[in-house]
Amino acid sequence: MRCNPRFPWFLAGSLISLASVADEHQANLPVLHFDGFGTLGVVHSSEEDADFVSSLTQNKGAGHSDDWSAGVDSRIGLQVTAILTEQLSAVVQVVSEQRYDASNSPVLEWANVKYDITPDFSLRAGRIRLPTLLAAAYRKVGYVNPWVRPPLVIYNMLPITSNDGVDASYRMPVGAAVATLQAFYGRRDFRVPEFGELNARDTVGLFGTVELGDAIVSGGYLQTDVRIDAANELFDQFRQFGDAGTAIADRYEVDGSTFSLWTVGGSYDPGDWFVRGEWGRRHTRAFPGTAMGWYGSGGYRIGQFTPYATIGQRIRVGRTSDPGLDVAMLPPPTREFAAALNAGLNAALHSDEYDSLSIGTRWDFMRNVSFKLQLDHIRLDAGSQGDLANAQPGFRPGGNFNVLSATVDFVF
Amino acid sequence: MARRIRAACVGLFLGMTAADSVGAVDVVVVMSATSPTVTLNGDQIGAIFLGKSVRLANGAIAVPIDLADGSAERTTFYTKYAGKTPAQMKMHWSKLVFTGRGHPPRQVSDAEDLKKLLADNPTAISYIDASLVDDTLTVIADY
Repeated sequence: MRCNPRFPWFLAGSLISLASVADEHQANLPVLHFDGFGTLGVVHSSEEDADFVSSLTQNKGAGHSDDWSAGVDSRIGLQVTAILTEQLSAVVQVVSEQRYDASNSPVLEWANVKYDITPDFSLRAGRIRLPTLLAAAYRKVGYVNPWVRPPLVIYNMLPITSNDGVDASYRMPVGAAVATLQAFYGRRDFRVPEFGELNARDTVGLFGTVELGDAIVSGGYLQTDVRIDAANELFDQFRQFGDAGTAIADRYEVDGSTFSLWTVGGSYDPGDWFVRGEWGRRHTRAFPGTAMGWYGSGGYRIGQFTPYATIGQRIRVGRTSDPGLDVAMLPPPTREFAAALNAGLNAALHSDEYDSLSIGTRWDFMRNVSFKLQLDHIRLDAGSQGDLANAQPGFRPGGNFNVLSATVDFVF
Repeated sequence: MARRIRAACVGLFLGMTAADSVGAVDVVVVMSATSPTVTLNGDQIGAIFLGKSVRLANGAIAVPIDLADGSAERTTFYTKYAGKTPAQMKMHWSKLVFTGRGHPPRQVSDAEDLKKLLADNPTAISYIDASLVDDTLTVIADY
């Protein structure tokens, strides 16, 4: 993870030097708040030739690597907020969870300064999670979500989840409703298991919500230019094969390629029950391709229990295979190499389509703690690896498998 | 522990019943008797305690104060004015806290501390067991 090494530590240092701990009188600023959240979870997957993971940045999970994996959903987050004046505040949040290299090294999740021009109009600068979907900004806080994890068919469509940059948020009444609009701009580097470093630049977008009583509707757009150097090494090899090879490389490589994400969503939660659904479309001409994802979910509260069910789907739009170089037309010594390149291209283009059906329940058995049990039935489309990581040589794409998850979420 | 179980049972019971006439504690919404006249309806009171900025007639923003987390008064108040269980309120605030968008109201441990705090802060609003109301307080709402 690349980030300005000075910025967060300067901020932490200034927080500690400035303030006294959360104080008797609200008017006596500055004030420091200490908060935290976490999840302890175990997951079992019936697919033994690959790993079920919960995020695009994990390379190890349940199934092949572990019969019962504690790494998939377990995490802890610690946050310090400094209220410096009535208008100025700063926040630093660090999360420790299993990462792309199977380590649990803490990652800076939020680190920004916020200025409230008015109570309804604020600006932020620093590290900010991106609001692409209803639960995206607080995805890692298990306690606030009704499910063990947000529906991956749509929440795993893009690994670009935060920015180092700026954002603005404006809230206004629209009749009896309240509309909020957020705009953001920035950049960030990520690490994904298959390809290593991913650079996202000029990440820009909008996310708007309209809330009326217990109902929310949302809509968002994000656009970013992405570079994945390790993938480009494959495509550079194609360039040795004349115009045909160059055409393939130009089309599929991820070298400043634009990715876009459109989302719409809705939620109705009067308290005793809820329904929720979101739809999204990720588009790029580069090899990850264009996909559509959606889910619908509902639950009902019975005392301390909130059982729920979710159905979702991801559909790939466009190519999931390519004939590649015409091997027969090439001189014999190069044919084996060209065939290997074609195989690499098609492996990169592989489908990630799947359906998922989940049932589970949340149990709020204790203050600030909730227990969840969830069963996911995943149906991979033909040729699809879904969101599975660490596929072994024996892994056969397509087919069905089941995932059982038990988590304890807490906030403090 | 027993108090927590009692509060949880009250919350459970209140959450499961539609009528809000049943409750272990009769709770009223109060401000200091020294505050200028304030008229707020149930929705506005709920909004204040959910973190929205609601201005009083004199232009000042109302400052919510909570009683202790897990207390019967708090559970009853949030059921009546926000329609939320303690867990739902915690979820609501956690979304705001962990996205850097706000913090829950200041909390006092008992009615005595509350009365002192309200006396010092004319824009502060809170709730209290109806039987504890005295002439240092004005009742703003009583649903």
